[in-house]
Amino acid sequence: MSALGIVGGVVQPVLIVAGSPLLVGVMRQVRARLEGRAGPGVGQPWRDLRKLFGKERISPRGTSEVFRVAPLVLVATTLVVAVVTPFVTTDSAVDPVADLFAVVALLALGAVTLALAGLDTGTAFGGMGSSREMTILALVEPTLLVSIFALSVRVGSTNLGAIVSATLHDPVRVISPVSLLAAVALIIVIVAETGRLPVDNPSTHLELTMVHEAMVLEYAGPDLALVELASAMRMSVFLGLLANLFLPWGIASTATPIALLVGVLALIIKVGLLGVLLAAGEVFLAKLRLFRVPELLAGSFLLSLLAVAASFFLA
Amino acid sequence: MNETLFVQLLDLACGGLLLTAVLVLWRRELVVIIHVFAVQGAALAALVGVLAVHEDSIELGAVAAGVLVLRAGVLPYLLRRALASAGEARRETRPLVNVAASLLTAAVLTLLAYAVSRPLVELAPSGLMSPATQAIPIGLTVVLIGFFVLVTRRRALSQLVGFLLMDNGITAVGFLTTSGVGLIVELGVSLDVLLAVLVLQILTARMRETFGDTDLDELRELRD
Amino acid sequence: MITLLAPIIVPVLGALGYVVAGWRRSTAWVSAGSAVLVLATAIATALDVARSGPRTAIAGLLRVDALSAFMLIVIGAVALLATIATPAFLRAEITAGRATARTATRHSVLVQLFLAAMALAVLAANLGVVWVAIEATTIVTAFLVGQRRTRAAVEAAWKYVVICSAGIALALLGTIVLNYAASRAPGGAVGLDLAALAANASMLDSGVTRIAVVLLILGFGTKAGLAPLHAWLPDAHSQAPAPVSALMSGVLLSVAFYAILRVKVIADGALGTGFARTALAVMAIASLLVAASLLLAQRDYKRMLAYSSIEHLGLVALGAAIGGPLALAAVLLHILGHGLAKGVLFLGAGRILQVTGTSRIGDDQGGVRGLAARHPVLAGCVGVGVLALIGLPPFSLFASELGIARAGFAAGMGWVTAAALILVLVIAAVLVGHTSRMLLGTPPDGPGAATTTRHLPWPTAIALVGGLLACATLGVTAGPLSSLLHLAADTLVGAR
Repeated sequence: MSALGIVGGVVQPVLIVAGSPLLVGVMRQVRARLEGRAGPGVGQPWRDLRKLFGKERISPRGTSEVFRVAPLVLVATTLVVAVVTPFVTTDSAVDPVADLFAVVALLALGAVTLALAGLDTGTAFGGMGSSREMTILALVEPTLLVSIFALSVRVGSTNLGAIVSATLHDPVRVISPVSLLAAVALIIVIVAETGRLPVDNPSTHLELTMVHEAMVLEYAGPDLALVELASAMRMSVFLGLLANLFLPWGIASTATPIALLVGVLALIIKVGLLGVLLAAGEVFLAKLRLFRVPELLAGSFLLSLLAVAASFFLA
Repeated sequence: MNETLFVQLLDLACGGLLLTAVLVLWRRELVVIIHVFAVQGAALAALVGVLAVHEDSIELGAVAAGVLVLRAGVLPYLLRRALASAGEARRETRPLVNVAASLLTAAVLTLLAYAVSRPLVELAPSGLMSPATQAIPIGLTVVLIGFFVLVTRRRALSQLVGFLLMDNGITAVGFLTTSGVGLIVELGVSLDVLLAVLVLQILTARMRETFGDTDLDELRELRD
Repeated sequence: MITLLAPIIVPVLGALGYVVAGWRRSTAWVSAGSAVLVLATAIATALDVARSGPRTAIAGLLRVDALSAFMLIVIGAVALLATIATPAFLRAEITAGRATARTATRHSVLVQLFLAAMALAVLAANLGVVWVAIEATTIVTAFLVGQRRTRAAVEAAWKYVVICSAGIALALLGTIVLNYAASRAPGGAVGLDLAALAANASMLDSGVTRIAVVLLILGFGTKAGLAPLHAWLPDAHSQAPAPVSALMSGVLLSVAFYAILRVKVIADGALGTGFARTALAVMAIASLLVAASLLLAQRDYKRMLAYSSIEHLGLVALGAAIGGPLALAAVLLHILGHGLAKGVLFLGAGRILQVTGTSRIGDDQGGVRGLAARHPVLAGCVGVGVLALIGLPPFSLFASELGIARAGFAAGMGWVTAAALILVLVIAAVLVGHTSRMLLGTPPDGPGAATTTRHLPWPTAIALVGGLLACATLGVTAGPLSSLLHLAADTLVGAR
């Protein structure tokens, strides 16, 4: 465990916990402005969270421990990912966990727990949301694994830090077909995984279209705050991963204050830009019919598989 | 040309071939499919062009220009005309295998192409052409995807595109293996493909005349 | 040199003539004349080759050996039969309003180009050119198949072009892969020259050649009507005009099979005889099974003849799988005998369609029944033709089937050959049953849907009787052809 890794392990979670609600705020604000509304301001998600944390804890009658534990598990897994994944520094605090499979498994664990909680409520909406979420998840997780795996083939390691540093040292890789195919696949699954348009509409409570919102419909108070926070963190984590896998420049590879400062700023700029692009893109998209979603995801799976195939063919 | 740049450009052209083949499988609007097909023709021409520059071969350069004209210009033009004569039906509405399943099948086909082409790749000498022979499986994947499109689509025009996709893949394999099979054969093949598309285009128009549609489900007069 | 080019140039000139002058009374016989010239040059070439060995022309692009010369004779002979019957056929179609003079012109142009493409396919020295020529036959025959412009005809043409082009694209891929193997052969690139490939086959990489051979056999097998890619054949053969069906069934399938024979020589040299043998034997048995099962309940006599073509190509493939001089000589004789008999039968079937207006085999609801009572000559020719087709002596198909069977048992492929013979017997019984229902019995009452006179035109009669006589003569004695047959078979086993 290097000094760089420890610093990263402290800075990254703080940055992500503090920054994620702001990212959500920025995205909502961009969307509002593009749609000609004034918007609630960038700080609104934080104000919402503060309000929710101040409320009393209640849970619906008939729910089990799963319902109560799920938000904690969700936040915890995301936090671990935020600690280990190379966002600000190339070294990781807990190097063995910064593995591609471990990170994807952690993210999947959080999603599955939330789906279980949705089922646990026993309401129609919760069940429907969970079943939809699992359908999407079944295609998203393999794609996520396979597309990052495509990048790891050339490096010869599934360690995310190693992949990021390899790209850093050999920038030409970025325009190779492997990277391009994997990038497209990854963008699609990230859109699906974070519940954005065209797969899910984050701002709707219309029963026929909800996926994520339906699952968490029964949460209130601090639990809801945790779920919301975790969702925001997951989005930052995914966008950060995307940014650093394909455009790792700026990331700190030495433990000097300047390098760390540059690393933090670079992450904020990259993730912020991606978020703005995503929000702007959503304005022009309509939600896909649920039956068409597997088509989109199967396509992204194919692209990721082609990326792996290409990384072997064109090595 | 610098060796690494050559490899990068070659890989990009191959990636373009592959991506366009997948997009043909993915999209339903026939107009979009034709556009994608034209892009694929351009990628194929770029592939040949890269090889031509790498080998300093003027003949190959001329072939690249020919490929560009035929596959990114003439053939898409003919397809657009066929589409215009096919009337209202602008979408591949009900393929025999739905799009999600066909995309997953394409993934399997990729692996198949990779497995089948092992002997081809292994025969490559460790010399100049080596990066090109490494890419043979991509050409083969395009052939298989084309065949799949041909077999599972119901619109006459989609079948036509499937056939041309196969042909693009075969041409790519040809150039990746040996920089072509000789000018006379190359010309003959191109002429045959062009004529086959013309014939099929005319048949599409006749089908519309006699059946009032180009949905191949209508083809059920002849069976045992 | 000039005899080598003539079989290609004469039909092209014929096509040009039709383009300029159109089809009319004075030009109706040009196509038959061109067929006569093709046959004559084919015989001259064969004599020349038998005397002084293979010849090449145009910088080695064309090359003729005993096998090519034999195939040219097959093309010329069947083309002669078909073109003799064509003027009467077209006139009857025009009278019936199913065609115009323009259709007739286009028909004649395309048939001439078809002949030229087939001649190029068997004369080309380069596998790539062989491919180009065989794909060209698909293109020129597409409109011939769809000539009648009915729903069925358009459907048949579409299936024909799509399936054949896709199948033959596999052969192109195989050609390219083989070219790759050849370019990596130790001791310098070989190229796609057939003779050079056959001579240097042992130097080709076996893994790559295996892929190439599978693709080539599957691809050219599509065009030869072998299962599993045979689906286009019954449709195309039943919808095409009779003379074109005769040409497609009688020679086009064999020309495609000729390419397989050439590939097999290379495969045997590179991989040993076992590989191509297995592939061909599987396709042969599959084709026989398909033909037998679909013939059982067949209601349409043109489709019946088409499935019989699949059967015979299956037998030919079996003979090629067995290999060896005896089997290969029998295969070549079978190709010629089948071409003649099937040519006669398709011409006869076309005539039956014209005089009865239906292509259904007679049953309680109608169709063709009691033909012998009203059209004795036509019925006689068709009846004898079917007997020739099922391999009764004295017709040559008897001799060739016997040869294939004997070679099969001698080569240790007893079980496969026995299975094939049983299927052939089943098919023979079915064919005789269907035909007797058409020819015998009482004719249906009333005038029927006749669209032409009852009188059989004399050129058609000459073609039918002449074809059958030739087939019978070949069965009694192959005469001067036998030395050519053996020379050609020797080319194929590599004993030069």
